[in-house]
Amino acid sequence: MKRMDGVSPDLAAVDGRRRFNMDKMMTAVCFILLLIIVVIPIVMIVYNAFFYEGKFEISLFVEQLTEPNNLGAMWNTLKIAVFTTILGTVMGVFYAWLLGRSDIPAKGLMRALFNIPYMFPPFLGAMAWDMMFNGRSGYINKWLRDLLGLSVMPININSVWGIVFVEVSYYFPFVFMQVVSALERMDPTLEESARIAGAKQRQVIWKITLPLVKPAISAGALLILTTSLAHFGVPAILGYAKRIYTLPTRIYEVIYNSGGSFDGIRQGAAISVMLVVVVAAALILQNRILSAGSYDIIKGKSMRPTLIKLRGAKIPLFILAIFTLIMIVIVPLVMIVLISFLKAYGLPLEFKNFTFAQYEKVFSANGTIASIRNSLFVSITAGIICMFLGTLVAYVVQKIRPKGKGALEVISMLPYAIPGTVLSIGVILAWSGRILGINLYNTIWIILVAYLARYLSFSMKTSSAALLQVHSSLEEAARVCGASHTESLADVTLPLIRPAMVSGFFLIFLPAMREVTTSILLYGPYTRTLGVQIYSLRDAGMIPQAAALATVAIGIIIILNTIVTKLTKDRKGV
Amino acid sequence: MADQIVLDHVTKRFTTKTLGNITAVDDFNLRVHEGECFSFLGPSGCGKSTTLRMIAGFEDLTEGEIELCGKLVSSSKKNLYVQPEDRGLGMVFQAFAVWPHMNVFENVAFPLRIQKINKTDITKRVNEALHHTSLTGLEKAFPSDLSGGQQQRIALARAIVTNPKVMLLDEPLSNLDPKLRETMRFEIKALQRKFNFTIIFVTHDQSEAMAISDRMMVCDMGKIMQIDTPENLYNKPCNRFVHNFLGESTFINVVIRDGKAYPKGHTEQALDLPVPPDAAAEMVVATRPNEIALTGPGEGGYASHIEKRIFLTDRTEYLVPVGEQLLKVQTPHRVTFAQGEACSVHLVEPMWYPADDEAAEKERARRQLV
Amino acid sequence: MANVRFEDITFRYGTNTVLEHFSLDVESGKIVCLVGPSGCGKTTLVRALLGLIKPETGSITVGDRCLFDAKKRINVAAEKRNIGIVFQDYAVWPHMTVLENVCYPLKKQRVPKDEIQKRAMRALEQVHMTEYARHLPNQLSGGQQQRVAIARAIVVDSDVLVMDEPITNLDAKLREEMLLEIRMIQKRLGATILYITHDQQSALQLCDKMAIMQQDGTLCQYGSDEEIILRPANRFTFEFIGVSNFIPVLNSAAGPALDCGEQIPYSGDVPAEALAGGWEIGVRPNDIVFDAGSPMRARVDSRVFLGSEYNYFLSLGKKQIRMQQSMLDARTQGIADEGSEVGIRFLNVRFYPAKKGGSAA
Repeated sequence: MKRMDGVSPDLAAVDGRRRFNMDKMMTAVCFILLLIIVVIPIVMIVYNAFFYEGKFEISLFVEQLTEPNNLGAMWNTLKIAVFTTILGTVMGVFYAWLLGRSDIPAKGLMRALFNIPYMFPPFLGAMAWDMMFNGRSGYINKWLRDLLGLSVMPININSVWGIVFVEVSYYFPFVFMQVVSALERMDPTLEESARIAGAKQRQVIWKITLPLVKPAISAGALLILTTSLAHFGVPAILGYAKRIYTLPTRIYEVIYNSGGSFDGIRQGAAISVMLVVVVAAALILQNRILSAGSYDIIKGKSMRPTLIKLRGAKIPLFILAIFTLIMIVIVPLVMIVLISFLKAYGLPLEFKNFTFAQYEKVFSANGTIASIRNSLFVSITAGIICMFLGTLVAYVVQKIRPKGKGALEVISMLPYAIPGTVLSIGVILAWSGRILGINLYNTIWIILVAYLARYLSFSMKTSSAALLQVHSSLEEAARVCGASHTESLADVTLPLIRPAMVSGFFLIFLPAMREVTTSILLYGPYTRTLGVQIYSLRDAGMIPQAAALATVAIGIIIILNTIVTKLTKDRKGV
Repeated sequence: MADQIVLDHVTKRFTTKTLGNITAVDDFNLRVHEGECFSFLGPSGCGKSTTLRMIAGFEDLTEGEIELCGKLVSSSKKNLYVQPEDRGLGMVFQAFAVWPHMNVFENVAFPLRIQKINKTDITKRVNEALHHTSLTGLEKAFPSDLSGGQQQRIALARAIVTNPKVMLLDEPLSNLDPKLRETMRFEIKALQRKFNFTIIFVTHDQSEAMAISDRMMVCDMGKIMQIDTPENLYNKPCNRFVHNFLGESTFINVVIRDGKAYPKGHTEQALDLPVPPDAAAEMVVATRPNEIALTGPGEGGYASHIEKRIFLTDRTEYLVPVGEQLLKVQTPHRVTFAQGEACSVHLVEPMWYPADDEAAEKERARRQLV
Repeated sequence: MANVRFEDITFRYGTNTVLEHFSLDVESGKIVCLVGPSGCGKTTLVRALLGLIKPETGSITVGDRCLFDAKKRINVAAEKRNIGIVFQDYAVWPHMTVLENVCYPLKKQRVPKDEIQKRAMRALEQVHMTEYARHLPNQLSGGQQQRVAIARAIVVDSDVLVMDEPITNLDAKLREEMLLEIRMIQKRLGATILYITHDQQSALQLCDKMAIMQQDGTLCQYGSDEEIILRPANRFTFEFIGVSNFIPVLNSAAGPALDCGEQIPYSGDVPAEALAGGWEIGVRPNDIVFDAGSPMRARVDSRVFLGSEYNYFLSLGKKQIRMQQSMLDARTQGIADEGSEVGIRFLNVRFYPAKKGGSAA
């Protein structure tokens, strides 16, 4: 009788009856910590949206729901998300098929290029595209206008379509990854049997391959959908100044305009509820579609799937693919670096206009060093705490299996479904003095608490998956060899999940270093994060400086990613 | 009887990253007759799967020619290569390869739809195929709701619905549990008798191959060892490998002295065996546990005793020392000796082979990684 | 080396009673194979022995140590029972080398360091794995990992060794080798081995005694291989071990007969109670022989060559039965062609009451 879950529930039963112990304590700690970190902020949002001074009051919510700016924002949010999803899916499937099924050359190079969008926060890309194609002052815009002799700028990136374009370029890898993985792991005999049955290559693709990867496509598409709905950075950079709002940026606007007053925050909370409803609807849709048809198409024997020969189309497709990738991945980054060397924004990109002055300015300003320090501090701390807490929750849920483990699972995964902006509001409402007088507002700690809530589910997922691989017989064998419960944890379980725990740390540390969505609502004068600092510089019009700091950020990200890749390659995994 | 499948000097060479140049199939020549059930048998890495894939058209040969039903489908000389979809074959795979997104009816109807056959005919022929594979009533079910055996039947129905002349079966029974394997074997044979197609059956399971085949080919390391009926292969294997691969084998290393065979290292007593005239100084005597007869002491043979007696469900097993080896002898229950009892060992018409070949073992092990 | 005694063990998983008042005495220094269909409770019994689960009633004693006693409220912790175990999935720790794996139980027993190395290497010698001491498990094949598991189990010189389906996941040739090795190790160490399996062939080849468990968690028969094969205690044992044919017996006007859709007269001896109705005759395929002069005639439906024997499906009346002809008999008596009519004789028949719901043959 093979148990596929983590440790033997038998052992837990025998141990549990034995003594008041570690197991019960771990469970209690989990519940308490999750309550503080996750439940309270969420409850505070709902409470403040619908209650005022203890009484149920729906008027605020209704007022916000019918406010034209909010409705406009909701409409934009939906429009952008839907178009991004459709276009991102088409692009993702196209590249997945190209790399997973055709004989196109330089697959390794293209895959490397695909990893780049994952490394950088979309708002940096938005900044670059804005620099290039801003409706009034975009550099390439100007160049095109002069070249073609037009009277107006040909492209306006500060539009809904502009936002869609940039989001697509950062989110299409979601679909690409899922579909290429499904294509590579698919049992080749599924397609071979179709060919034996008389189907030509073309027919095999339409009737067999595509339907079988539909679940992967859906999974990727819905990931794009939910991410875009909750996204702050790109609409903030490209749309905010032109009053093109989405719900996340609208929430920011409302709070910013009210100077952080309680009323403003309450309004934000009400709008947050609207956003959460939209996202929840998307997640329910996701669940429905995903559970409907996941096929078991993974092959056992390792056989290479037959590659389809592109013949005449090979070179044109290759050129198209590489060109597109370079355009959307490399060019923005290059642009940022170039702008960072300009003496002043608006000057032509000529060597005589270049200087290192912007870097000097940026580094001499106190704010910059502080922001880097702040980001490092919060990201590393959040990473470490989440790593341990996530593993603890995963262990309690899988091995100890107390009553209420379902609740534990749901609570820890909840923040995954809640947009970062909304979570920030919840954290503000919870820890600004209204509960037990604890006031963390404008301190670095409120950012830390928000990160904990935001990223806990990441490490819990990785640790959970790793624990599943630790078969019960491994722990039982240790016990029978003479190890006590604690010893078997230390000697067997922990070493086996350590790689996953470390993965979990980096899975949190890297995104946290460069994020802006959560900290934009929580920062105080001395507690800016790196992302907020870049955003603020740009907001204040100091664009070359913002570009300089952005370049530094890009450099830091590349270095960190390289270190992580080297570390994870060397370790001997399970 | 017409030759349905002809392989003429077929060779396949390829290069892998891990193992360098490999000749997976080395000069295969064979002719399969119409209506025959012909097995490719051998360990993994022997070339049987590669050959099947070349017949199906998923791999191209490096040299040689393949003919199906009188038509050339692959030829290195003439630079000819017919695609799998144009070869008119039926094929059943090890992991069934039934499409999970289509129900049973659609799976079986697929080949007919590709051929653009009209609706009424499709329904008729699909229902017939389902009837022959005992799947009537399950038309609307999806493969994931059905058992392994039923999924394999779907694959069979899909393969026969186009009335192919040749059926390729690639280890079709390996993923089924033992009881089901026997049932499916009978069903496949029954279908063959009804429709009279030719079967190529690839397997690594020798008892399965012997049970189902009219003739079979044993291959090893890319070379054909022997082609014959199961009985002839079992009773007269041409070399040590074939002997060892089919059924249980016992090999005794012997030295020849003065025309008598002695167990190596134990020259006190000779094996009571006629030595072939061309025997070398050292040979291997090959026999099988059920081809060794035990009699009381003093009746000729090799004098020994019963070291251990084990009762199995349908036979008794005796371990009898001969030279430095412990021979396994299997007899029906009614042949009884007690543990420790003296006896005589008689080898009934054993095969004689040249002494051990270590290099071949190493190459075999290397290919298992492919 | 010690004996193991299970007395009156009952265990339930929820509402499912897996073991009910189960008792078994494993003699010291012997290999006892515990065989039964999946779900019959043999793994549960082993887990109770190891201390991974706690039965509701009964007691478990190893040698003169009581490990568990429901009435006296004794339940020794798993880590203190000192029983060697080889799991079905080997359970070799992937993050430790082969040597570290084998040293672990000795470390837990606080054996002095230099002795640990010595004893671990000796255990690895027994399983021919000394040259792999510094390897990691993922560099080893299934058979090699199994040997590491065995070394780890024997290194502590425990009184009892338990092996739970240790060779099921290996291919046929490797299985044969491992069976021989286990036998040799047992001879050398003189250990008491409790060997769990559903593979009857290996069990018969390995055991000194065999215990057969029924689906409901009770002990069916406990005896040597000869007793089990030649003198099965009841129908379950007869049916479970090997293949069998069952045909209903009835008392016709002309004497005892077999109900094969039509009445086939049976000329052998039939005990009186079997004629009372509701009984069946059981005969193994290898106990049916061709006999040209026999009045019992059958038609050959199919003949399959399996190398060491021929398998036939015969139609006796309207009933299909299996027959197995050894190569010896095939050579002396000749084989029968498909479609031909033959005379057959039954040997070593048994009579059992029919099963409710029909027989499994």
